[in-house]
Amino acid sequence: MRALHPFTLLAVATALPALAWILPAPGGGLATAGIAFGLLGSPGLRRGLWPALVAAAPFWVFLLLLHDVRTTVAIGLRISTMVASFVWLAAVLAPDRLVEATVARGWSITAAYLFAATLSAVPMLKARARRIVEAQRCRGLSPRGSVANRLRALRALALPLVLSALHEVDERTLALESRGLVSGARRTSLAPPPDRVAERVVRWGLLLLCLAALVWRLA
Amino acid sequence: MTRLALEEVTFWYPATRAPALREVSLEVAAGEIVALVGKVGAGASTLLLVAADLAPRVTGGRLAGAVRRRARSGIVLPTPWTQLSGMAFTVWDEVAFGPANLGWPGHEIARYVDHALERLEIASLAARDPVTLSGGELQRVIVAGLLAMDPDVVLLDEPTAELDPAGARSVWRLLRLLAGEGKAIVVATSELDAVPDVADRVVWLEDGAVRAIGTPQLLAEDAAGDGGVGTTVAGIWRAAGLAPPYPLTVADAVRRWP
Amino acid sequence: MSAALRLDGVGFSYGAVAALCDVSFEVAAGERVALLGRNGAGKTTLVRLVAGLLHPDAGTVWVGDWDTGERAPEQLARRVGSLFQHADQQLFARTVREDVGFGPRALGFPAHEVSRRTEEALEALALGGHATQHPYDLPPALRKLAALAGTLALEPMLLVLDEPTGGLDRVLRAQVADALREHAERGAALLVVTHDLAFAAETLDRGIVLDGGRLAYDEPLAALLTSAERLKPLGLVPPTVAALSVALDLPGRPVRERDAAHTLARVAGGGPGL
Repeated sequence: MRALHPFTLLAVATALPALAWILPAPGGGLATAGIAFGLLGSPGLRRGLWPALVAAAPFWVFLLLLHDVRTTVAIGLRISTMVASFVWLAAVLAPDRLVEATVARGWSITAAYLFAATLSAVPMLKARARRIVEAQRCRGLSPRGSVANRLRALRALALPLVLSALHEVDERTLALESRGLVSGARRTSLAPPPDRVAERVVRWGLLLLCLAALVWRLA
Repeated sequence: MTRLALEEVTFWYPATRAPALREVSLEVAAGEIVALVGKVGAGASTLLLVAADLAPRVTGGRLAGAVRRRARSGIVLPTPWTQLSGMAFTVWDEVAFGPANLGWPGHEIARYVDHALERLEIASLAARDPVTLSGGELQRVIVAGLLAMDPDVVLLDEPTAELDPAGARSVWRLLRLLAGEGKAIVVATSELDAVPDVADRVVWLEDGAVRAIGTPQLLAEDAAGDGGVGTTVAGIWRAAGLAPPYPLTVADAVRRWP
Repeated sequence: MSAALRLDGVGFSYGAVAALCDVSFEVAAGERVALLGRNGAGKTTLVRLVAGLLHPDAGTVWVGDWDTGERAPEQLARRVGSLFQHADQQLFARTVREDVGFGPRALGFPAHEVSRRTEEALEALALGGHATQHPYDLPPALRKLAALAGTLALEPMLLVLDEPTGGLDRVLRAQVADALREHAERGAALLVVTHDLAFAAETLDRGIVLDGGRLAYDEPLAALLTSAERLKPLGLVPPTVAALSVALDLPGRPVRERDAAHTLARVAGGGPGL
């Protein structure tokens, strides 16, 4: 899956949620969610299954509180499709390939860069979060105990992570600018990912499918 | 030939009343190494950002005075991990990031990248994921990334901070080599003992203004010692009550000693 | 009375890779130890073992009479104050004062105790003037000091610091040296990982060197720092004062600035006119 052209992966990841919302519930949502989670369940990617379920769970809870079961299922499946599609995309799309694909087309790389940088920030933030947890524990912070205690612990873990990350945004911006990442500049493509005719067909096909579904729904 | 000139530059960061730089004038010629010394917050980092055309263009703020640049500059900021592109999964791609952004043709990029990797002695790391590197290795990758863009003015902010002593020495050696090739180099450093052997001129910054400019010999003056920017050997010589001029380095001291 | 820190045949592996092998040494209260060695020698692993973040695969790590293998890091915080690299990223409170007091508060000390420890730590590192500022309004070097102050406020019997002087200028380094010396005088044991040998020379007395996960040397720091032959294979060179001592053949081979100045004055006074 990772060998596919980045645009194909993007197309699938956007088509699934689009179809989930366009097609009539609950069948449409069920089908697309099924496909999305199915993709996530494929060998090598299964690690993403649990986070996707966990991320989708709170939405289901809120929906249940606000709506009846039928609406909950309808909207819940759609949201689950979105979450699963995004998690799948994050797992299979190598950010540098996306940037290379964009550059090879001659398009502006700023948007692609934002996506790439966000994804690659994840492992860095995870490592930092781990370091912060350790440092705070070594200062006596116990993550166990009462709810109040745990909330206090969360503050000592989440705040430094966010603050340090935000604080670095300025420095990162400076570094990128100094390395020539200016919008509008023409970047050389170092290793453009290969694109096959079959994939182009699939991409256009998905687009047409979404449009057709939309037309069908509105008519 | 002057590659970079700051003329009476005063700079205010956004929403700050006190200027970070006050009427700083500095000229750097090709083949010259200028060291910026001073306490934390004295303005060395800001001066480098101004020289790199990142302040006020990217940082915001206001600049009075003039900056004349006759060449492309590159800058290495003090924290290596914030300078990773986030888009490269190998060291080779990371170093190629800059040249690729400049739109150079592929074979040119390959030439410069390979050369940069060699100079920083990290060719063996070329296939590694930058995220797995140690602080010292990362620092070298960042410097390689700078070199691969072939700037004529090289600006470095504490390039040896994350390095062990051997790594630090190799960076100083590299800077002398680069100067020999005609590049103009400005380096902010708190490693004062290394400055006499590396720098041609020293700029002592205090509260954003230039307190003194001169040869490294100024680090042996009493004022420098009092101001926290003297070298260790000079400080010891002075504390021992021996007569000035004080030696700057161990080698100097040996020469002076009967 | 048990030592502040004792390692008994400690071994640790990350999977199949042995990071530490049969390391044993003791650090008494008030002792000031430099932990040296090249990258990958096992220093960070050892520090994490002492802080309780890792449990040894072999042997035992004793902090006082506590076996670290039986305690969580937050419990060990009562006895061990650790400061890791990138400590400035652990800051989060609204003011520096609040952040420095976080440790003592987390350990459950009463308000006046927290206050006393905080103020003393702030003063030791001359951060009083910045106490009401937001940590991220400070430059990185001062943030590092604030993190160190947070560790000092724990007033532990053992301070374990990983590269506490990176990025600090001369003045700030001297401040850290003074603060650490003061804590040692009050009975705390110091274990400092550093490749800033000049700082080590000024502040610490004993050198423990790790090489490939094993204990290579454990001896007075001054002797180690003036021995270029032993430092070289470790990728280290004598720091400036030690190098000067050797180059000028100063009696007693001082490795501290003040001692070198005294010796130099003596020798110069006694020798032929300069």
